[in-house]
Amino acid sequence: MKKIVNLCLLTSMFLPVFVLAGEPGTALKADTLRAEPFADAKSVGSLTKNDAVDIVNKKGAWLQVKSKKSTGWVRLLSVKRGGATQSNQVGGLASVASGRAGTGKVVSTTGIRGLNAEELKAAQFNESEMKKLESYELSSSEGKKFASSGGLSTASIAYLKGAQ
Amino acid sequence: MHKLLIGLMLSTGLFSMQSAAFDFGKALEDAAKQKIEEVKNGGESKNESTTPEADALKSTTPQASSTEQAPAAPEAKAFNWKNPSKQEEIALGREITGSLLGAAPLVKDEALQRYVNKVGRIVANQSERADLPWKFGVIESADLNAFAAPGGYVLITKGLYLQLSNEAQLAGVLGHEIAHIVQKHQLKVLQKQQLVNIGAGLITDKFGKNNQIAQKAIGSGAEISARSLDKSAEYEADRMGMILAARAGYDAYGLAEVLQTIGQTNKSDNSVALLFKTHPHPDERLTRLGDSAGSQLDKLKAGKTLENRFYKLAP
Ligand SMILES: [Zn+2]
Repeated sequence: MKKIVNLCLLTSMFLPVFVLAGEPGTALKADTLRAEPFADAKSVGSLTKNDAVDIVNKKGAWLQVKSKKSTGWVRLLSVKRGGATQSNQVGGLASVASGRAGTGKVVSTTGIRGLNAEELKAAQFNESEMKKLESYELSSSEGKKFASSGGLSTASIAYLKGAQ
Repeated sequence: MHKLLIGLMLSTGLFSMQSAAFDFGKALEDAAKQKIEEVKNGGESKNESTTPEADALKSTTPQASSTEQAPAAPEAKAFNWKNPSKQEEIALGREITGSLLGAAPLVKDEALQRYVNKVGRIVANQSERADLPWKFGVIESADLNAFAAPGGYVLITKGLYLQLSNEAQLAGVLGHEIAHIVQKHQLKVLQKQQLVNIGAGLITDKFGKNNQIAQKAIGSGAEISARSLDKSAEYEADRMGMILAARAGYDAYGLAEVLQTIGQTNKSDNSVALLFKTHPHPDERLTRLGDSAGSQLDKLKAGKTLENRFYKLAP
C-alpha cells in the first residue's frame, strides 16, 4: 500500500513560502475568489463546495487557485489539498502519474502496522524512557530564549469561538 | 493527532459498558473487577448496569462536590477524582505516558527531542497553564499521530514529524495537544468514568481510596490513547492550538497545513487508522476551523514559519 504525499518538502526548505505549484485542491465550502490576498480585495469569482481547483500559490492565510472559471485568492481554510474523493488510491496515484511526482514524495508503508488498541492495551510502563522524557523538560525562560533567537514575538490574540 | 484520546463521552460510556469491545468503561470495569477480587479475595460480582447511584453521580455538577461522595477518606492520600490536584494530574499523565512509551519508545535523537521541547515550551507558554512541567517527545512509530496526557505530557510520532516542513507546523500540532491538556479533555473523561464506577460500586471504597490502585484503575494507561474524545473537544483543540501557535509568533496556519497534508492520506492506510478512528476527518476539521475563523484572522500580522531552523529528521 502506498501513500502519496504531495508535500513539497524540498522546495519549502528553501523558499519562504509553501509553493504548491499546480497542486490539485478542492473547495471545502463556498467562498469568494479575490483579485488579491486580502478580504477587501475585489471579487473575481466564486467557488462552490467540492469545486476542483489548482492551487498555484500561497501567501499567508490565502491560496491563489485556478478554477474552471477564474483565478483568484481564497482563504486557505476554505480549500483542502487533493481531490474530492479519497475513497481509494486512484486519485493519489494518478497525481503521481500525471507528472506531479517530481514535487511530491512517495512513502511506502507496506508492511507497517500502525499503533492500535490491542498493542496499547498490552503496553507496559517504561521507566527508563520516561526518565529520558523527563530529562528534556525545559523551563519557561529557556523557551523564551529559544523564541527570541528565532525572532518570534508574541501577540495577544483571542481564542476563536466554536462555529455552530 | 492527537492527542490522548480517551474514552467515550460519558453518556455513551454509561450505556455501552457491556457492549462495545473497545469501550473504555469496559476496560476500567475489567481492571476494577480484577482489583476488587484481589483486594477482597472473593469474586463479588456486581451488576454493572446503570445503577441509581450512577445516575445520581451523572447529574452531579462539579461544584456540588462535597456531600454525596461517601468514600472521602480522612486518613488516606486518596486519589481525588472529584477535584484532582495538579500533582495528581501529573501523576496520572505520567502513568499513561509511560505506558505509551512502553509501546513506542522515544526516537534516539537527543537533538530532535530537545528541539521539540523548545518549540513545545514556546507554545505552552502562551496558554493558561504555562506553569505545568511540559514535556514533549517524538516516538518511534510510522503512524501519523500525536498524543496528550494530563499534566503536560505530549508525544508526536516520527511518522507525523516527517510530514512536517517547518517549525510553525510543529507548533500547530503541539498546540492542538497542549489545548487538550489545558482544557483537561482527557482528565474530564477519566474523572467522570471513575466517579461513575465508584458510584456504581465497580470500585470499592478501598479501591477508590488508594492512590496507587487508583492509577491502576485506568487499566493499561496507553490504551487510553486509542480512545476518542467527543468531536467538539477536537474542534476546540484545533481552534485553540492554532491560536496558541499564532500567539507565540508563528504562522497561524501551520496546523491547517498539516491537516491538509494528512487529509490526503488514504483512509485505509495503517498509518492513519488510529488517528482517523479517534478524530474527525481532517477535511471536516479544516472546514470547522475555517467556519470558526471567518474573517477574524484577516488582520493578523503574518507569523513566522522558520523552515530554516526546523530540525530535519532522517526517515
Ligand atoms: Zn485531538
